[in-house]
Amino acid sequence: MLTRVAGGEIVDPVNGRLGTGDLWVEDETIVPPPTGRKPDLTLDAKGCVVMAGAIDIHSHIGGGNVNTARLLLPEHHKAHAPRPGATPLAQLGWTTFETGRLYAQMGFTTVVEPAMSPGAALHTHLELADIPIIDKATLAILGNDDFLLSMIRDNASAAMIEDYVSWTVASSRALGVKVINAGAAAAFKENVRSFSFDDEVPFYGTSSRKIVKTLQKAVTGLGVPHPLHVHCNNLGIPGAPDTAAETMAAAEGLPLHLAHLQFYSYGSEGKRGFSSAATRLAELVNTTPEITIDIGQVMFGQTVTISSDVLRQFTARGSANPRKSVIIDGDANGGGIVPFRYSNDFFGSLQWAIGLELFLLIEDPWRVFFTTDHPNGAPFTTYPEIFGLLMSRDARAKAMEAVSGRALKLTTLPALTREYTFEDIAVMTRAAPAKLLGLKDRGHLGPGALADVAVYRKGGDIAQMFRSAAFVLKNGELVVEDGAVKKMRWGRALRLKTTPDKAMVKRMEAYHQQRYGLSLDWFDFPDSAIQREQPFGEVSCRA
Amino acid sequence: MAVAWIGDRSVPVDDAARKAAELLAASLCPVFSLDTDVHGTRAALALARSAGAVCDQFDGAATAREAAQYTDRGGLFIAPGEVRRRADLVVIVGALPAHHDELIAEFASTVPDLTGKDAERRFFLVGDDAKTPGKAKAVRLACEGGLEAALGALRAQCAGRQVTHGVSHFDAFAEALAASRFPVFTFCGVFAGALALEMLQGLVGDLNRKQRASALHLPASPNGWGSTLVSTWTTGFPLRTGFARGHAEFDPWRFDEARMLAEGEADLHLVVAEDARQVPAAPKGVHMIALAKTAKPVAGAAVTIAIGVPGEDHDAVVYSSRLGTLAAMTAKASGELPPAAGILRRIGENLPERESLPC
Ligand SMILES: [Zn+2]
Repeated sequence: MLTRVAGGEIVDPVNGRLGTGDLWVEDETIVPPPTGRKPDLTLDAKGCVVMAGAIDIHSHIGGGNVNTARLLLPEHHKAHAPRPGATPLAQLGWTTFETGRLYAQMGFTTVVEPAMSPGAALHTHLELADIPIIDKATLAILGNDDFLLSMIRDNASAAMIEDYVSWTVASSRALGVKVINAGAAAAFKENVRSFSFDDEVPFYGTSSRKIVKTLQKAVTGLGVPHPLHVHCNNLGIPGAPDTAAETMAAAEGLPLHLAHLQFYSYGSEGKRGFSSAATRLAELVNTTPEITIDIGQVMFGQTVTISSDVLRQFTARGSANPRKSVIIDGDANGGGIVPFRYSNDFFGSLQWAIGLELFLLIEDPWRVFFTTDHPNGAPFTTYPEIFGLLMSRDARAKAMEAVSGRALKLTTLPALTREYTFEDIAVMTRAAPAKLLGLKDRGHLGPGALADVAVYRKGGDIAQMFRSAAFVLKNGELVVEDGAVKKMRWGRALRLKTTPDKAMVKRMEAYHQQRYGLSLDWFDFPDSAIQREQPFGEVSCRA
Repeated sequence: MAVAWIGDRSVPVDDAARKAAELLAASLCPVFSLDTDVHGTRAALALARSAGAVCDQFDGAATAREAAQYTDRGGLFIAPGEVRRRADLVVIVGALPAHHDELIAEFASTVPDLTGKDAERRFFLVGDDAKTPGKAKAVRLACEGGLEAALGALRAQCAGRQVTHGVSHFDAFAEALAASRFPVFTFCGVFAGALALEMLQGLVGDLNRKQRASALHLPASPNGWGSTLVSTWTTGFPLRTGFARGHAEFDPWRFDEARMLAEGEADLHLVVAEDARQVPAAPKGVHMIALAKTAKPVAGAAVTIAIGVPGEDHDAVVYSSRLGTLAAMTAKASGELPPAAGILRRIGENLPERESLPC
């Protein structure tokens, strides 16, 4: 099958291709223009921007905590089903099916669920397998698990720790590793109620810093393409910029990714003790080249916070809206589900503005990633609106009219004139995520790349343009036309290609027998348990 | 070996599936009662969507109560592995179904290893019906008025409020609680009503103001809880979800299978059960489609199709109360009986108007 995407404005920064032209696709792959062959299908892309399919590096789309959030909030989905678009959370994409459909319609073709509990990997992968069209990937959570903390306490060798990380990634079918408030979940089980980077985890005698450094070293040593993905301590607390700064400093030249930096950019100045520290943190990111970050942009409206930072979620229970929440003490991290409504009052407005400041003040689009930490800052369905805010200073000015003026005065946002270009957007949401995750086959439109292509019809309204793609190709198949799904297909979950060390498997067997009274089989699963053809795709480690 | 019947007549599976599809297509109000694994549930939900049917757990009142604890108020919960490794005080709230005996006995025969040296595990029982775990000693906290009264009194007493009828041995409990690093309360919807579950979460919430505590969910039916999870990610709702109007609607009262059958609302009952003996008689005027492990037609069923038991006759994914999550089970023997999922899909393929998009 030969497809020609004809006459579009191609935006492919990786290959330096910017300008009007054709894009050719044969079966699943992008190919050079063939000579003397007629396409089986021609898609008229005149007046359209043509980019690679977008990649979301951090969106909570499936797994135990996400499903618990659905269970806790049936009223949101009920409101949605009969009257889409009109109700709170209406665009949340609440079911697995809707998640795939809504992402695809926006031209997203790969999405990473960043918080998979390794012990519940099967549940996560079953949910992801029910998300249609797009490819998925997961990050396995480590850093509050007894096995790792015990190894650190007992001064295990770096090689042994690498073997354990490798075993975890392999058995949970993850693409990378995330650490969430390192040590805090373990400390919370010992009734610790606040936890910082150099605090000690009771029982294990190690610190958050030590855990992060240990995992960073192991991830780097193993050649996992994605740097250690860090959810820092003290999320949401005024004063958290110090924690974020300490964590960035601890990168010490090795790659480190800090998740949803917006939630750590709250200063404690002003009458209300709540101010913007975006300038300070953006400057730090700009001058620390080994650091990448994503934003976690806040948008106004009803949402639900879903986090494996159980300590933070426990503390936030009081602000639950509606007034119900779930807190889980898991085998390692556990988690918490707290529904929340962001309003355009002083606090909400400041959070909204801080996210935009970070987007606009961090200079290198290769190191700042586009997220709302779905659904924590806002549902992923708000992305088109955020693209609008980033690409148009007029759109920002208009939006600023509807937020708290007192909050804006504490930020630099009104003074920022930068406008993201299509090229910046293509870097931030395509090229850079592919590079960060080690996905060489996507994020660009060069010959040989996987034919994940998003075509957007240009018009006055940027948000509308990104909300409903004119065409989307996934693996070369036309799956979306005029903003609606035309063809159903099942994507894969991308996992790291790694072979666990045999001695470590033996150790894990003994550990599970001794500590849980169960054989390791209980914690593992065959690929066939997913019951889909080829549920996984493999990604290689760095040499 | 006969594996499918229309009435009492043995037929090929395809004929039975076609007949089942005909009945579904003709039904004005079909209701499904499930007792099956994850993939059986996925297939049942897809069929229910195509046929406009309601999905509930078989004998699902207790499962619905457990789901309501999440949908209505949330709470604090703990993983079973963490209970084994951390809980130095286990409070068994009310009676538990026998399928949890093994796990409780395991708690009784082990000690926590994550709370320092020489840790012990102590047991308390709430209400008159809670059973002592294995050979362990346990102190009973009870008062007149049943489980709800006992939990209400216990919560009030823990909060330092005066009560007219306190629970027995409260002082011993208060002492144990003060000394405990991580107390855990078990609960199950079979013998604990909605009010008892709410009281229990109230108590656990109160305790967490000063110390840690949590609650361990021991599901009334592990299959029921597994199906609840699958339904939730597929439709946005737990079981007791119906598709009569094309989209999923959740209503724990309206879509209670027992009520729908008893009140004559349902005109078709599709049952997926592990054991044919579980399958109830169809009320008058209700067509029954029975999927169960059986060597003969289910009495009164319009269609019977034999299926295997998940994890025994075929590989399966099931909810494990022991893990607190889904687990893959390898079949003990390579049985000839097909999984429910395959049969449900075959029925769906025979429906006249097939949903073009999978759910
Ligand atoms: Zn997140």
